[in-house]
Order: sequence, then structure tokens, then C-alpha cells
Amino acid sequence: MTVTSTVVPGEDLHETLVSTAASESVEGILLLATPDEPLLTDSFESTLQSLSVPIFGGIFPEIIAEGDNTDSGVLVVGLSAEPVVTTVEGLSDPDTAFRDALDPRLPAKGYRTAFVFVDAYSECIEQFIQALFRTYSVELSVIGGGAGTLGDERSPCLITNEGVIEDAAVIAALHAPTSVGVNHGYKEIAGPFRVTDAEGSTLHTLDGKPAFEQYRDVVERHAGRTVTPETFFKVAKSYPFGISRLDGEQLVRDPFAVEDGSMSCFGAVPEGEFLSVLAGDADSLVDAAHTAADHATSGSFGPESLLFFDCISRVLYLEDDFDRELAAVTDHGLPVVGALTIGEIANDGIGHLDYYNKTAVIGALGDV
Amino acid sequence: MTDRQQRIQTLYEISLSIGSKGTLVDTADDALLGYLQKLNCSVGAIYRHRSSAERADYETIATIPAVPESNNTLQAAFGALPDANRPIGEQLPISGQTEEGAHFCLFELPDFGVLAIGKHGGRVDEITRSALRPLNEKLAEACRSKLIETQQRVERNRFEAVFDAIPEPIVSTVVDDDGIERVKHINTPFEKTFGYSAEAARGRPIGALITPVVTGSSHTQITADRSDESETFATADGTAEFLSRQVAVNGCESKEYIHLYVDISEQKQHQHELERYERLVENLPIGVYRTTPGPDGEFRLVNKGLVDILEAETASDFETMAVSDSYIGATKRSQFSELLLEQGSVDGIELELQTLKGNPIWAAVTGRAVQENGETVFELALQDVTERKERQQQLTVLNRVLRHNLRNAMNVIKGNTRLLGEAVDASFEPHIAAIEQRVDSLEQLSNKAGTMRSLFDQGREVTTSVEMSGLLAELKAEFESSYPEATISIETADPVSVQADVRLKMALDELLDNAVVHNDNPQPAVTVSVSGSTVKPPSRWVDITVSDNGTGIPTEEWQTLENGEETPLQHGTGLGLWLVYWTVSLLGGTIERSIVDSGSQVVLTLPRAPTAHSAD
Repeated sequence: MTVTSTVVPGEDLHETLVSTAASESVEGILLLATPDEPLLTDSFESTLQSLSVPIFGGIFPEIIAEGDNTDSGVLVVGLSAEPVVTTVEGLSDPDTAFRDALDPRLPAKGYRTAFVFVDAYSECIEQFIQALFRTYSVELSVIGGGAGTLGDERSPCLITNEGVIEDAAVIAALHAPTSVGVNHGYKEIAGPFRVTDAEGSTLHTLDGKPAFEQYRDVVERHAGRTVTPETFFKVAKSYPFGISRLDGEQLVRDPFAVEDGSMSCFGAVPEGEFLSVLAGDADSLVDAAHTAADHATSGSFGPESLLFFDCISRVLYLEDDFDRELAAVTDHGLPVVGALTIGEIANDGIGHLDYYNKTAVIGALGDV
Repeated sequence: MTDRQQRIQTLYEISLSIGSKGTLVDTADDALLGYLQKLNCSVGAIYRHRSSAERADYETIATIPAVPESNNTLQAAFGALPDANRPIGEQLPISGQTEEGAHFCLFELPDFGVLAIGKHGGRVDEITRSALRPLNEKLAEACRSKLIETQQRVERNRFEAVFDAIPEPIVSTVVDDDGIERVKHINTPFEKTFGYSAEAARGRPIGALITPVVTGSSHTQITADRSDESETFATADGTAEFLSRQVAVNGCESKEYIHLYVDISEQKQHQHELERYERLVENLPIGVYRTTPGPDGEFRLVNKGLVDILEAETASDFETMAVSDSYIGATKRSQFSELLLEQGSVDGIELELQTLKGNPIWAAVTGRAVQENGETVFELALQDVTERKERQQQLTVLNRVLRHNLRNAMNVIKGNTRLLGEAVDASFEPHIAAIEQRVDSLEQLSNKAGTMRSLFDQGREVTTSVEMSGLLAELKAEFESSYPEATISIETADPVSVQADVRLKMALDELLDNAVVHNDNPQPAVTVSVSGSTVKPPSRWVDITVSDNGTGIPTEEWQTLENGEETPLQHGTGLGLWLVYWTVSLLGGTIERSIVDSGSQVVLTLPRAPTAHSAD
């Protein structure tokens, strides 16, 4: 698999896409874009529909290219093998038969890797991820994340040959193998607390007490400072929740809002499960990214490039130290492309496929 | 967090995923996902162990991934499933490893099957595997319950399909805590028959829905768990008679019943009609019976009419006697049997029989040979014609007396009178003439008696037609020749033919004779007209009207004719009018008399001839 990438400003996108698609070595296009108005125009939709090769991707808060992260421009990645692209719509509808939309024979047909992008603001992402796992298990190495913007206004964020769409998922299957590394660098500092009352991604009580009250007690004790609903968002960047897995790294659930003692998280927090409070610092996060990259590149095949999907919250937390995290990945000597996502999707090839928060996901894409 | 604490927590979280879902597959699939998610495993499957007298095997209920054939770990686990023909609990748990280094474990799901989980790049430790046992039992119980529930649902769906497919009204009921039997479900025929929708009927007491309107007609048969009743119920269209069957069902907690209503109104009506018909046949004054063929024959069925005719006490008297016992003449029975077998049916054959008391009778027998249950039987009707037969014999004798003996006597009287007239003086001439005139009348009477005999000998069968204008012209010529003082007028429009034979001429001859000879007018005038009938459809009937200017047929003569019989006090003066009446009757027509201003008239209405056939 050969990946050729180009970062272009939005206004030059049409010509770049057309010329990339026309290239003999390109059989498909991965488009990782930052929010830009021209992407939501009829003109761009016409461009997507006119392309002679499959295209897939998303609009993310930031993209990673040429060893740096940026909140402007579009990354056009030419793929030397044709992907099979599947679009699953109705990602907020719990009645959508996700499994029916997936082709379970893809592994039998030789496909080894799947890029999966979802609208981060859809309400049934977990059900969709479960459907993916139930269908493919670890037969496909999955890598991707949540698309969308950090602004208040929700807008179409998934790119397909039909146009830019929302409330959907895009799956692109490739024959090339991918070795995936997943790590976040947060460690448990308290818990577990049983989720005694929850609704979707909103935590009401932990061990029978208001969730924020429990959380505040732990964080104030650990950080040595007072936590209020007003200061919560700044503090929460360092203290996410973790859902444990036996013999596996905890799933991070990122709380982002407090209301009446309840806490809202990115991702579901099922009632009855146990949550821990995690803590991390810049070093542990950077080390985690490095570990993930090491794991991805330690596969039996020689990777051609690295795909890096990292949580945007890590950028917000690390700030200037994010350069260190990028360097921890880019120092493996391979071209790195990727995006800063709102939630990450990955399957490390060993265990369960999950929807992560605050996690670094790195895929080493090999050749066939 | 310690390993032990995390393990307990993991097991608890897995337990949350175990429970009854919509289907067995969903139950197994959700639990399997919980196992893999919490144990950080990548593949898994749940197999149901199926065992029957013929064979034992495994049925795959749920797998992750969806297509297990391409997954080496799951294939290896499947290949390591315990021998299905032996107790699987004794062979489990089983652990294994693939060539790629993936590990798998097989666990017993007691009384259900096997759980398989697999992991790439690691393994589930032994302590955890052991700790899974209670969860596996819980999962097995959930699967078993779901399986039973599914099977029950299949059975219920099958039952409901049958319930709705039965064309008779059915209602299922359940007895509530107050002992009231309430409707659970009704089928479509019930809705249509009794006029209740399923929604309107559900939950209502069955007694409020349908109640017998004729309680007196109820007939009940009750067994331990079933009762049948024949009752009349109000229906959407009125009332109908039903055979209602109530069957008790073994419900889980409460008494349940199935009520089936079979509409037997039509059947009952048929039964009533049959009973009426049987009474009719039983009470007929003729014998209706069945026999076997053959020289002897056995009575199979006899009605009361036959019992009476053959002077038996009861129908059972025929059980021990042969049919031939009722015949007079050794070979008559054989001949009758052979004739009926040969022709298939007989009509009005007259047989001389004898009653059980030995009295001879004459019987007219009509019947046919039919096949029943593989054998031939005779179905017969027997009419006692002894009286008619005797009258017939008497008539024959009387006819002979009238035609032969009387005429001979008249010839002798006539000859002697002639000789006497020659021997006595002229003063005795009027007496001699009176004797001769009376003798001539007696001769005519004798001739008419002969005519009557031939009239009846020809019977009612008429296959010829008579063209009326020709016949009337012939009669006109004859009468004008015999009675020059009389005027005969014929009025016919188009050529008209009636269905008749030579007997019609005899009747008209008699009517004209009466109109001319018994006319008190010194110049008799008779008109005969032919036209389409005014009292019956003219397309099929013809009126022949004979009018005269005399006083017509005396009323007392006509009343005798209308009464159909003569009495000592009321009788005709001769045979002429009877001859006309019998002729018209035998030809299928009618006769009417009326008085008009110009005199009297008689109208004969006869069938119009369909085609022209000569009466010659």
C-alpha cells in the first residue's frame, strides 16, 4: 500500500482531488479535512460525485501531516489499492440494524484493515462499534475516530462519494494489513465506583452518591485544590474516568459537563459497570503515544506509513507539549498522517474493539 | 485495584449482560459480547447441544465474528468441542491453542451446550476461568428459559394459526379470581357469526357474549374434561342452533377453556325434514318397502302402509318371512325379480298377492333396482288395487251384459214386436211403435256402452293431432244430412289443430246431438267456434265452443257431472254427457257450461297441437 499525501488549502481542493484521482497509482482517496466552509458547498459535493475513485474521510478539529498538527487545510491521501467503502446512516437511531448494513464476508474476501469514521455527535456510536465487533471481531484491524467540530453547531462531517454527510459512519476496507497500537497514559487513582444511576452517556450517581460529588472528592484530594462546576472543565482534562478491562488497558471516558450533580461524558457509561478515576500528566501521555507507536511498528510486516488518530482533548491538555507527543510518533522514521479526533476507534488486534476517549491510536499500514 | 477485586468486578459486569432478550439468539449474542468485552477476548461462540435417540450434535446459536469459518481460533474451538454423544459436562472445560498462538477455552453451559471464547496474544487465566462457572450456569439457564419460551411461542403460534384457520367459531376463555370465565381470544369466524370484534370481546364474561335463547333444547354430554351441548344462540344474523363443545385446557396458573361452536342449524333442518319425510312415508296409505332380489327375497325395510295392506301385526313380522311368501303362484316372485333386475325399474305392475292372514289382494307395484353398499336392492311402492281390480272385473261383466246379452235380448224383442205389429190391427200400432222406439234407445245405450269401453281402452296417451276445420266440416255435413231442420254454423279463424284423436269426434258428435235433438226450438241452430283459449294461455290451449238456441244441458245433469258421481237422488238421464266429460278428461282438457242470452253454450278447452300429426 502506497500512501501519498498532500496538504492543500480548501480553495485548491477540487483540482487536487481531480488530479489525485486521475493518477495511475491511485485507486482510492482518504480525505482528512479541517472545518472549512467550501467543504459544505454544492460545488464540493459535485466534485466528490464526479471522482473516478472511491473517496472517504472526515472533517476533524485538526489534522496531522508533515510532522505537525494544524487546524486548517485538507490532507489528501492517495491509496494505491481500491477500498470498499460502506456508509451506514441513521447513527442516532437505536432501531437501525447496523449489522445488516455490514458485509460479514469482507475478511473472507481478503480485506484486513478498516478505516472507520463516525459522526462524533451521533447517539448510537457504541451500538455501531458493537455491531462492528460482532461482525468482524479482530478479523479486520480497525482504526479511526469521531469526526466533527468543537463548535456548538453540528454540521456534516463525513466524506463519501455521495457528498459530505452527518449522523452516519463510513467504513473503508483495504486489503493491506495494519498493526494498531492503542494507549492513553492515564493511571487509576481512585475507585472503582459502581455506576448506580446512568442514562446513556450521563452519569447520575456513583456508589449511590451524586457523580460529581464523588468525582470532586477524589480530584480535590489528588490535586489539592477545590473543584467547582465552573472549574470542572479545566480540571477534567487531567482526570478522566476509566472503565476496566481484564488484562487490558482501561477505556477512558472523558467527562465534559456538569449539571445538577450529574456528569456528561463522551461515550456511554452503562449502569452497573465500574468506573475508576484516572490521572495523567504530560510525560505519561507522551510516553503512551510512544508506546502505541512502538506497538504498531513492531508487527511482522514492514510498514509504509503511520496513521495517527489522537484525541483532540490531548492537544487541549498537553498544549505546547503536544509537539513532544507528535515527535514520539514521527521519530519512528515513517511518514505520519492523521487527525485529531473526538473519540477514537481501534482494535489492537488482540482483544475487543472499542470506542475510546483521550487515547492515542496509531496504525502502521503495510503493503500487500 | 487488586487482581481479585478486578476479577470480581469483571465477573459482575459480565453478569449484567446475561439475561433474557427477545430471542434465544439475542440472549446468547448479548451475553457473548459481554464475556468478550469484559475479558478482553476477540472471538467467541455459543453452541447448543442437541441430543435425540438417533443422534447428538451441536447447533451454533451465536458467534463473534459473524462468519466463523474464516476465523482460525473459532474453527479450532469448534473442532475441539466435546463428543456430543457422551455427557459433555464430563469433558469440559477444554483449553487449546492455535498455530498462530491464539488461545481458546470451552466451558460447559449446563443442560444447554458449550461456551467458547478465544483471545489473540494472551489467554484467560485459570482462576478467572474457574470463576466463570456461576456465570456460565446463569447463561445456560437464560438460554434454556429462552429456548423453552421460544418453543412455547412456536407451539402457541402454531396453535393460534390452527385456531384462526378453523372455519367454526372458537373462543378461548380463562377463569378469573372471581370464578368468572372471561374471553381471552376469539377467531374470525366467531367475530362474524356472533357479531363481536376481537377487541370488544376480549375480557368480557363469555356468558355475557353468547347466551342460549332456547334453553329447553339443550342437550349435554359431559366427560371429565369435555362437554358437548346442543343449544340455540343469538347470532349477528338472528339465531342458529349450535353444537357447542367446551374443552378444558391445562393452563399454567388458572383454568382455561376452549369453546367450539359448530353451526348445526342446517343439519338440524335436514334432520327435521328427514323425520317429516319418514313420517310421511310411514303414514302413506301405500306400502313402501325394500327387498333383496331373488326367487325368495328378504324384506329390508317396510312402512306401516305395507304392514296394513299385507295384514301384518308389526313391521317385525316381515323379518322372518320371504318376499315370495306374499306371492300367489310359485313362479310369480321369480318372474318379478328377474324383470326388475333386467329392466332396472317397473311401473304399475299388477300382482296377485296374499296377506299374512292368507287373504288374496291385487297390488300395483312400482319400483327400481338400486346398488347399495355393493349389493342390489329393490326399492318398491305397493298400492292395494283390489277394489279397482274387482270393479274392473264387474265392469267387464256389465259391459258384456249391456253389449251382448242386452242387444241379443233387444233383437229378440224387436223381431217379435215386428211380428206382433203384423198380427194385430191398426189400433195397436202406436203401442207397437212405442215398443220399437224404446228398443232402439236401448240399442243406442248398448252401443254407447261399447263406445265408452273403447274410450277408456285407449287411455290418456295422445300422440296425434286433429285439424279442427276439417273435423267440424265433416260433423256439419253429417248433422245437416240427418237433421235438415237444424242449422249448423262453423266459425274458425286460422287453421287450428288440437292434441286429440278420434275420441274428440265422438265427444263433439254427442254435444251436437244434444244441441239439436234435445233442442226445444223447432228450428235448432248450433254454432261451433274454435279460437285461442280465454281461460288458459292461448298459445298452448284452444277453446271449442258449442252454442245452441235451446235450453241447453239441464242443470241437474251438469251438477251430477260436477259432483263426479251419481246418486240415487241425483243422476243423469243417459251416458252422453258422461261420454263427453270422460273424453275431454282423457284428452287432457276441461269442459265448462254457461247460459247466454241466445241459449246455452259448452266450452271444451283442449291442448293446442305442437306439430301437425294426423289422427288417422
